[in-house]
Amino acid sequence: MAAPSMKERRVCWGARDLYWQCLDEHEEDAARCGQLRSSFEASCPQQWIKYFDKRRDYLKFKEKFEAGQFQPSKSTENS
Amino acid sequence: MGRALGGAPRARDCRGGLIRLPTHTCGVLVRLQRIWSFDSRNFRSMLLLSLGPKAWPRLSQFKPRILPRSREGEFLHAWSRNLSGQNQPRGPGLRTRLLITTLFGAGLGGAWMAAKAEKEQRQRQQRTEALRQAAVGQGDFSLLDHQGQPRCKADFRGQWVLIYFGFTHCPDICPDELEKLVQVVKQLEAEPYLPMVQPVFITVDPARDDVAAMARYVKDFHPRLLGLTGSTEQVAQVSRSYRVYYSAGPKDEDQDYIVDHSIAIYLLNPDGLFTDYYNRSRSAEQIADSVRRHMAAFHSILS
Repeated sequence: MAAPSMKERRVCWGARDLYWQCLDEHEEDAARCGQLRSSFEASCPQQWIKYFDKRRDYLKFKEKFEAGQFQPSKSTENS
Repeated sequence: MGRALGGAPRARDCRGGLIRLPTHTCGVLVRLQRIWSFDSRNFRSMLLLSLGPKAWPRLSQFKPRILPRSREGEFLHAWSRNLSGQNQPRGPGLRTRLLITTLFGAGLGGAWMAAKAEKEQRQRQQRTEALRQAAVGQGDFSLLDHQGQPRCKADFRGQWVLIYFGFTHCPDICPDELEKLVQVVKQLEAEPYLPMVQPVFITVDPARDDVAAMARYVKDFHPRLLGLTGSTEQVAQVSRSYRVYYSAGPKDEDQDYIVDHSIAIYLLNPDGLFTDYYNRSRSAEQIADSVRRHMAAFHSILS
């Protein structure tokens, strides 16, 4: 399978950005963004979709972490 | 050895002579004796004693005249007279002594600096020699470019080279980094008095990125971007030389996979020596600035 060309990459990124915008508006409610999700899945190779999903999770985690929402739990003291 | 008024025998002898061993003990005894009988002559003689051996010739002026001498004492007395001239110290003056000391110190300092300069020169030569060997041998590769021509590192001698390692199936990082690299090259191209920079893209996925795939990929970025690929061993060898980590991920149903790899842009100078590297956090302007600085400071060691 040939690698996506520059045009195909840009289409995939556009679809991803739209989908992510939708998630931002609806606060990670994937059910409300079904249509954008399917267009995203149609534009990008499967590996990229998995990769971008993981990337999204990571970026959200990073936001929460930098906002200080994670505290070390007491149980780790004895470990 | 005769006796003076209330003095110890040793004390009087050392007072009369210039050099008498043990002089230190002698001085101590004289001081002790003087403490008991204090007058102006005593004070002056104590002062002279405390000034040290150079002043001791002058002590002879305090010698009591009625002192009966032994033969040894006479000999030492005459010797002290000879040494001290006519009871006046006449060594070199203070200015002369200072001058001699300064010259001597300057001589020592000069010798030390010369030795240090020689050592640094030797170290520089050794380093240049080591760099020459590294320039030729280290980081060498033999790969195919995207037109099918074999290339090795010596082909780029005389040019500045910016290398990026990636693969064509990369979702976003490689295109972003290559875009950045192309921006750097364009910025440097805009300055006509700077030497040309050769951008190079080396694949870490030789299984899928053959010559045709590389040709399709690089044309989207810059007309001079050179894609390099090869066999698995050749790619492994060049990645080892540049300390690039790469690891193919698991395949999905389409046989597609993502290659995890370290992300950096490497700069080689016209001698072929690795000069600098830039990671993801550096912007195109920062990289261009850094390359300009390296160009300005460059001094070839291979010519």
